[in-house]
Amino acid sequence: MDRHHVIIIGAGIVGVSCAHQLSQRGSRITLIEAGPGPGVQGATAAGMGHIVVNDGDPEILKLCLRGREMWRQLLDENVGDRGYWNTGTLWLAEDEEQLHGLGGARDRLHSAGVDSHTLQAAELFDLEPALNRDLAGGLRIPHDGVVYAPKVTARLLSQTTEVETRFDTRVTRVGDGGVTLEDGTEMKADAVVIASGVSLLENLDREEDFSWKQKLKILPREGHLAITARGTGILRHHVVEAGYQKGAHGVVEEAIACAILPRPTDQLCLGSSRRPGRAGAVDPGVLKKVIDRCERFVPGVRRLPILRAWTGARAATVDGKPLIGPVPGWNRTWLAGGFEGLGITQAPAAAELLAQRIHAETCTLDAGPWDPGRMLVLSAGGRSD
Amino acid sequence: MTKAVRITVDGASLLAQEGQSLTAALMMAGVSAIRKSPTGEARGALCAMGSCHECRATVDGVRGVRTCLVPVKEGLRVEREMKLPRLPLEPSPGGEGGDSPQIIETGLAVIGAGPAGLAAACVAAELGMKVVIIDESMGPGGRIWSHRHDPPLAARNWLERAREAGVLKLQGYSVFSGQAGELDVARVTDGKRVRIRCQSMVVATGARERFLPFPGWTLPGVVGAGALQSLIKGGLNIDGRRVLVAGTGPLLLAVARLAKESGAEVILAEQSSLVDRSSLAIPLLLSPSRWKPARQLLKALGGMERYSSSWVTEARGGPALKEVVLRTPAGDRVMEVDGLAIGYGLIPETRMAAGLGCDVESTGTVRVDSLQQTSVPGIYCAGEPTGIAGCEAAIDEGLVAGIAAVGKTPKASLLARVRRHRFWGQALEDAHPLREELGKLAHGSEILCRCEDVTVGDVSEISSIREARLIHRVGMGPCQGRVCESAALCQSLSGSDTIRPPWTVVPGENQDMSSAR
Repeated sequence: MDRHHVIIIGAGIVGVSCAHQLSQRGSRITLIEAGPGPGVQGATAAGMGHIVVNDGDPEILKLCLRGREMWRQLLDENVGDRGYWNTGTLWLAEDEEQLHGLGGARDRLHSAGVDSHTLQAAELFDLEPALNRDLAGGLRIPHDGVVYAPKVTARLLSQTTEVETRFDTRVTRVGDGGVTLEDGTEMKADAVVIASGVSLLENLDREEDFSWKQKLKILPREGHLAITARGTGILRHHVVEAGYQKGAHGVVEEAIACAILPRPTDQLCLGSSRRPGRAGAVDPGVLKKVIDRCERFVPGVRRLPILRAWTGARAATVDGKPLIGPVPGWNRTWLAGGFEGLGITQAPAAAELLAQRIHAETCTLDAGPWDPGRMLVLSAGGRSD
Repeated sequence: MTKAVRITVDGASLLAQEGQSLTAALMMAGVSAIRKSPTGEARGALCAMGSCHECRATVDGVRGVRTCLVPVKEGLRVEREMKLPRLPLEPSPGGEGGDSPQIIETGLAVIGAGPAGLAAACVAAELGMKVVIIDESMGPGGRIWSHRHDPPLAARNWLERAREAGVLKLQGYSVFSGQAGELDVARVTDGKRVRIRCQSMVVATGARERFLPFPGWTLPGVVGAGALQSLIKGGLNIDGRRVLVAGTGPLLLAVARLAKESGAEVILAEQSSLVDRSSLAIPLLLSPSRWKPARQLLKALGGMERYSSSWVTEARGGPALKEVVLRTPAGDRVMEVDGLAIGYGLIPETRMAAGLGCDVESTGTVRVDSLQQTSVPGIYCAGEPTGIAGCEAAIDEGLVAGIAAVGKTPKASLLARVRRHRFWGQALEDAHPLREELGKLAHGSEILCRCEDVTVGDVSEISSIREARLIHRVGMGPCQGRVCESAALCQSLSGSDTIRPPWTVVPGENQDMSSAR
């Protein structure tokens, strides 16, 4: 019982990645999950599963790159649903201005050592004949890929030793180094990791002053997705419109952007939308806008039979960066959340960073940009509901 | 009476009958395998009523059309989905914004044109309401009254009344999304969209068959019991064929009778025991109106090879069905057959009601009050979705719903009849308890989910529906779990599935009409 003991709240892809990393460092894990199993709740269950490097911010790019690298080591490539499927990403420009913008992205990626190249219209259509012929060009990032997150999460957990799982169990209070379960059970540990997505900061047992709550918070951002029937996988790359950064990750209150992801099952996953709030019922109006936007980039997708549609919520933060580090002012309770749309990509890197900090090792990446304490010194402004 | 027409299947020309169900036409031509499963197994029609999607093909260039719902006409082009060829994509008409759907404004929208839906539509229209009735099949009447030429006697009156009262029929359309006051529907053959705005609704979606997996249940030629009924009525000729009708419940008797009258050599096997079924004696005695039909049915079944307390443990063959193993009290019998029709009773089709937000009881029936009003104001439900009780019950519940939907009060005698029907429905169910062995027929590598080819072994170590769906992909195909969710294995899992639009998978929007006819 003297083993280093960590309680992890949340068995999504982030929580399970943390369990995996911590157990490799000798920790004994108790993994608590409100849902019935690993990887079947929240953004892990709802997300597209796109592994993508995002050049919008140099620090975020580093986290994405490390995440992508780790996924490719963790999972065999090109083995369909069982692993990492190397589709590559194609960012699509509607006009010369967007293509110029993608050129800038390529330069930033090159200086970070990331393989990528811009494509003129003709090269784009050679790669993906299904694309709309009026597009100006694109940016190809060949080593991006796709994972099927629920399965990958379940598999990662099955490969993690020294972990006790408690499914269908809710946490009602989190203190510094301890939790209370809904049945009143109190548990203590050397460390507590909260990885509960949009619920990240709920149940924290502390008296906060007003400014604390204003600055450190999770902003849920609902998205709609749909998937086509099998036999309709007419794309090889994940195709995303260049405006996606603005549309789905930025500060706009409500946005629709084309993001189409081929699945190893020969289906297409169609997205995306973004609006404030938690995941609610499927809104047929929003779904129609999403599919219409996809039609603009891949003419004919609207004619494909849709099998299912669903919603999910991304957990955004006020400054658009994840929270990876201790709860401000505490020593034994840690946060891993606020990844917005990049949680699946960044999960292994975030878990590695957190495990390194908990075990006081030298960190592979700079921990500073992600430390939740940064939020308390933020100047007024930033994003809000 | 029937006109011979030419259709093409994978480019080859073949003869069929006009108005015949396309599935029946394909089976008649020896094409029982209509698609390939994800792991490459040949598959054919299972339910023949639009639930299982196993009979889907590319018809006139439209991907994913359920052939069981398509009437044959001259020049129909069918491509079986054996290799899943890439679709040559062309821009959808209407550009980025798409065409706006046609809009129909009405007083009452009735979903389903079986006995309950027709009764509701007729009575509401006769009371002055503007009524639209939406139905997926080739023609009105539901399963029980489905027909190609002359409707059965019992249905004629209702079809006549519906015509006279000016009920607008949207035949061959699926409802796939909506809420109180609004429904989105799509044409089965080409995905053409229509939006219906209404003041009230009657959900009369009937029932679907309960399928229980067993070794060999995915072989083409193994169909549902009700499916055989639909296929015969849809123009499948089984004259001289040897057919085993197996499973449980009163539907088996009706199917066996129809198959015999259609010239087949029929073997009938009922899994429940005579002791179980003897519990029906008293309810039957108390229900004189059922004496004559019961006598006629028994007479029609006279001389048929029949087994009681017997069930199918395995179907063999490949690619098509060759023989069946029947477990009887006297031991296992291996029978060579041309077809197996198997059904383990009916399940209330509640998905549409659930999608509309209506409460569904833990027993699997839509909750209604004595006026058939669901938990959502303005949405009524009638017939099998409120509990399996048969045709007469469906008609009376439909009448109550139709009358209530126009704001009138049904007569006390009608309400009393509805209560009596419910009693009868329960007695029928109690007389056919499913034996436990039936839940354990399929093991290891046997298919559980036919859409995604998930095996029983794949899900042996999980506890919840969510894990089955998200991690193992059970029920993630086009049937959306309608077939596999009744398997004992799925029933033992915790949690439930959420119903989201599209409630039924329909062809994509705005099909290019130039390629369809």
